[in-house]
This record gives sequence, C-alpha cells and structure tokens, in this order.
Amino acid sequence: MIAVRDFTYTYPAAPRPALIDINLEIAPGQFVGVVGANGAGKSTLCYALSGFIPDFYRGDVKGSLSVAGRDLCKTPVAELAGEVGLVFANPFNQITGARFTVREELAFGLENLGRPRDEMVARVDEALRLTGLTELADRSPYALSGGQQQRVAIASVIVLRPKVLVLDEPTSQLDPVGAREVFETLDALTGEGATVILAEHKLEWIAAHADRVIALRGGRVAADGTPREVLADASAEELGLMPTRYTLAARLAATQGVVKRDGPLPVTLDEAREFFGGRQREGA
Amino acid sequence: MQRSFNTLTLALIPVAIAINIAIGQIIVLLKLPVYLDSIGTVLVGLLAGPIAGLITGGLTNIIWGVSGLNPQYTPFFYVAAVIGLMAGIFARLGWARTIWMWALGGLITGVVAAIISAPTSAIVFGGVTGAGTDLIVAALRASGAGIMQATFGQGIVSDPLDKLATFVIVWLIVRALPLRLRVRFPNAEYLPK
Amino acid sequence: MTNAFSLYTPRASALHRLHPLTMLALVVFCLVAGLALPGPWGPYVVFLLLILPLAALGQVLPNLLSTAVKIALPFAISVFLIQGLFWTGGTPVVELGPLSLKREGLWFAAQSTGRVLTVVSSFLLLSLTTRPDALMIALDQRGAPKTLTYIVLATIQIAPRFQAKARTILDAQRARGLETEGSVGRRVAALLPLVVPLVLGSIIDIEERAMALDARAFSRSGPKTSLLTLRDTSAQRAGRWLLLLGMIAVVALGIWLRRAA
Repeated sequence: MIAVRDFTYTYPAAPRPALIDINLEIAPGQFVGVVGANGAGKSTLCYALSGFIPDFYRGDVKGSLSVAGRDLCKTPVAELAGEVGLVFANPFNQITGARFTVREELAFGLENLGRPRDEMVARVDEALRLTGLTELADRSPYALSGGQQQRVAIASVIVLRPKVLVLDEPTSQLDPVGAREVFETLDALTGEGATVILAEHKLEWIAAHADRVIALRGGRVAADGTPREVLADASAEELGLMPTRYTLAARLAATQGVVKRDGPLPVTLDEAREFFGGRQREGA
Repeated sequence: MQRSFNTLTLALIPVAIAINIAIGQIIVLLKLPVYLDSIGTVLVGLLAGPIAGLITGGLTNIIWGVSGLNPQYTPFFYVAAVIGLMAGIFARLGWARTIWMWALGGLITGVVAAIISAPTSAIVFGGVTGAGTDLIVAALRASGAGIMQATFGQGIVSDPLDKLATFVIVWLIVRALPLRLRVRFPNAEYLPK
Repeated sequence: MTNAFSLYTPRASALHRLHPLTMLALVVFCLVAGLALPGPWGPYVVFLLLILPLAALGQVLPNLLSTAVKIALPFAISVFLIQGLFWTGGTPVVELGPLSLKREGLWFAAQSTGRVLTVVSSFLLLSLTTRPDALMIALDQRGAPKTLTYIVLATIQIAPRFQAKARTILDAQRARGLETEGSVGRRVAALLPLVVPLVLGSIIDIEERAMALDARAFSRSGPKTSLLTLRDTSAQRAGRWLLLLGMIAVVALGIWLRRAA
C-alpha cells in the first residue's frame, strides 16, 4: 500500500533535513503508530504520507514515496483527496468555515470532487454514523466541543474514503473526554479495515491498538516492530518514550524478584495479566 | 480569481478580513483618532500582492455592511480596495524592504484614500460620519469651506496618520513571521528582511 | 446562525421563503430607487412605502427599525447640526444666539439622512431575511467563483471568533494598565502588544487552515457539486427580470424629475 524509499526531506530555509533516509513498507489495513520525542519528525512524516510534501511545504526532496503505486511527491495535493487523508491537532483550524452545518461541512470535500448529490447524501450519512455525529448533523461546527470538532475533522476526511488515513496527534489539544471520543472513533474505523497512520504521544493507547509501531529519532527510523518489541524495549526511553504503566510495573516486579519470568515486558493490560501469572478473576 | 491564488493566500483572506473587523471595532471602543481597520488588507497586499489586497479590502467593507452590522461602511468598499491594491503595488516595487519607504507608502495611501473617499462621504453621507472627527468638518464648514472640501479636509487630517500607523504595524508583524511560512507567499521576495 | 457574523433572523415569512437572488434583486431595487429619486423626499418615499412594508412582510420590522435608527441617528444629528449651522450663505430660518440654522443646510441634511436611512435599511432587510450561505450558494450556482463563496462564508464565521479573541486580549491589556492617557502616538504604540499577537497568531494558523482545505480537494480544478439545493420558481425568475427593468425605469424617472425641477 505505502512504499517509502530512501526518503530525505528538508524544509525550505531549514539548516538540516527533517527526515533522513526513511525506508518503509506499510501493508493495506495496517494500523501503524508513529512515536518519538517532539522534533523527531513525526509531523513531517505525517505530512509526507498525506501528500503535503513537497507540493504544499515546498523544500527539498530526495527518494520516493508512493501510495497504491502513485508517487505522492509528484502529485498535487488537491488531486490526492480521496487517496490519502490528513487529520491534525487543532480542531478549530480544520473546520473550513465555508459551511454552516456539520452535515454540509462533511459534504464540502465531496462537492469539490464533483460527486453527485445522491451519493453525497449517502456517504455523509455513513460518515456521520461512523463518527457518532448523526445527532449533531444540523448544528454549526463552531458550536461543538473540541472532541466533537475533531470528530467532524475525521469525518470530513473519511467521507472521501481515502486509502490511507493519517492522523497527527489528533488528541493533543483535547481534554480527556475529547481524547476518549476521538480514540473510540478511531477504534470504530480500524474495525472497518482502513489503513491508519497515527502519530501520538499516548503510548498506552497505541500499545493496545496498533499492529505496528515506528519510532523516530532525529528524523530517522530508530525502531520498527510490534508495539511490544518497540515500546517494552530497554532502549525505548532513549528515544524519548515514556514506558506504559504496565511495562513500568512489570519491570519493577521483575527487578525486585516478585515475578520471575523471561521474555519481553508487557505493554498492554492483557499482556500484563499474562505476565503476572495469567490468573484472572471473573468480574475483577 | 479561480486559480490565480494559492491555497495559502485563499486561507489568508478571510482571516485578514476578520482581523480588519475585530481590530477596527476594538479601536472604536478605545476612542482613538485612527481607524486601524485595514491592517488585514495591507497585510494581504504585502504578502500576496495587489489583486489579493484589492479583494480583501473591498470584501471587508461589503461583508461588514451587508451582514447588517455596519451598513455605513459598504459604500466605501472601493476605497478599502484601493488601499489593498496600493499596499500590494508598493510591496512589488520593493518599498517594504526598508521601513522608511514602506512608511512613505502608507502616507501616500492615506492621501489617496482621503481624496477618493470624499465624494461618497459628501454625496451619500452629507459629509459626516457621526463620530468625533465630525468636529473637523464642522470647523471647516464654519470657516467657509464647501461640503466636499470640508469632507476632504477631515480625511486628509485622519487618513495619512491612520495608514502610516497601519503600514508600520503590518511591517513589524511580517518581520516577526517564521521564515518557513514567509517563503511560501507569492510576494516572498519583496518582504522585509 | 448565532455563530455567524450575520443578523439573519429565521421567520416563517413569505420573504424568507424567496430564492436568495430574488431577495437580493428586491434589495438592490430599494437601494437604487432610494439613491436615484431626487431628495429630500425620494429616499423617504422608498423607506416608508417600500422598505418598511417589506420588513413587516418579513416579520422583522422591529429588528430593522431599531437597528436602522441606532445607526442613522448619530449621522442625522451630526449632519443637521453641521450642515444646518454652517451652510455658507444660506437663508436663516431659526436664530440660535450667534448662530442660525439655514434652510438650505437643513434641506441638504434631510436629504443626506434619507439616503443613509435607505442604504442602511436596505442592507438590514437583506441581512435579516436571507441566509448568507444560501445567498452565496445561489451566486455560485450562477457562475460566481467558488473562491468568493469560500472567502465570504469563512469570513462571517471566523469574524465573531476574532472579535471575541480581540476583546479577551484587550481586557488582559487593560488589566495590566493599557495606556489610555497621553499623546496619540503613545496610545497607538501602546496598542502594539494588543494587535501584534492577535495578528501573528492568526497568520501562523492559516497554514493549517490551508492544509485542511487542500485535504478536502478545495484547490482541485473541474466541476463541483452542491449538497444544499435552493427552490426557485418561474414566477420568481420573471420577478427578478421585472425588478431589473424597474431599476432602469426608476433611474430614468430620477433623471427626468431632476431635469423637470
């Protein structure tokens, strides 16, 4: 689905590249978490995977980056709507302002693609349902909470049925309630088999949901594997990643000899149960 | 105007109009002898060129008026459009590279604004605005000036000062913009260093 | 619509049911008639016999009257005093101590007030009865550029948020003791900490706003479609042509009346 080859990118007027020698293959339907410290290149990778580099950001590109065989670096970003979709942190800036209701905001992209009205109505209804916005369809997008606005942003992109959905820290400007709404929405979407790339600091959520984690440091891929391989590894902290509470508890238990077990540390609740002996009380 | 603007310029225009309106109304509250209701317009002229500036200026007054909030501004839409146009032309002439030439551009724009707004002010509004600057009109009328002269006299006292302040503020703002963003506007090569 | 920069007031009126272009033609007719007919009576005839009855039909008469008066009154006071008192070489009608009100000045002031009233109330009539998004969509279905629709609709939704932001910054500056005394230059300079962060922050935000637009295929060329549909009738189409002819007629009438006078 996605193939990145020797990809190096420098922003205009920047002294050094933001991404260096990136090589990635991402299979259709994969849910990939992108992690790393601030400035590691997470956002830049997201912009590249959604076609904004170099068409929108300009700058200097080496190597290639393609989605479903289409070279993103040689295609204008407006032609890519429907192929790749991008959601980013600030919900307010993602509302186009060009439409007065949530329903019309969702239809905006389809209108620009010139889709027939019947198809538009059906696809908007489906996107409203998937993001749990049906009840709010006739409200002004500006009258919604941050979490609801972010769901509108997600819905406005998935209504275009992109082959790849890229999300750049979609919960970083939301309160805990808003963040949970967004994660629940993403849960529903991955159930639909979409290819999702999610840059995120909330590692516990990534650990529980991603098929694969890519860790970046200084613009390079520093680790790439299953969540357990990447996040429970002793080197994770050097990448600026805060281990999950399950990993921390297990590491403490292992060093103090409470639990004697070989193999990788857990990163999710289920793995922690198994690690701590697999006994599970019903209803606990 | 379909594809003559890049998306960045298009996204800038509504924000610039909102800046005109928001700051313009704050200044009214502060009772200052300036308007500062064309900061967004001059900004667009400088960053994106004369045509984008013209559209921003013209639409500011049309939207401000037709929305029903300040209908008295709409007849002056062409004045606001010319302000944006002139800012764009001065930028293209390279005047924005130094603050002195740019400030001079502001003064010239103010004089032009005073000249071209006088007829509409006199014919549609009887030469008054209903604001404090009407005292100038009163004084000029009392000393025997005609309606058009009195109106122009009011404009020539307030407009150059206002446009000078506006141009200087815009210059300071553009200089503070991150380089990464500045290089992507159509006028990138004409911006202050 | 409370979130947009618009006075639109929903009512179940005949005027609200009109196609936005019909409403626009009607308002432009009022505007043209008010400015074309000779003063001082011309604008008042339009205001009293056309705009007010239409506002009543649209069930927005109180809204229109109160807003129009609020805007036009300061003008009226200013213009009557200045042009009434200081008209050069006019005929005095009322003596006020050393000053006197001149007939020609009052006549001129009455005409100016009438024009202001017509301009203001015409726009108010449009704004109160017509959804701005419907109007813009109607215009772009008639071939107006999509970019214009975007600029206008985005502006009226962003502007109230900016006003709120500006007010917050102003209050913060006031709490820290914003200069409200001193010379003009000083007070304008004192505004910089208010103006610069507001503008700078919003310009930096436009990068993301532009990305969101491009992610929704905004800059794609080719035909576009519309979710919102507008009801138009052949009667309204005919009405719009009649209003256009009416505008030409009323301009001609205005010229003829001025010649005759």
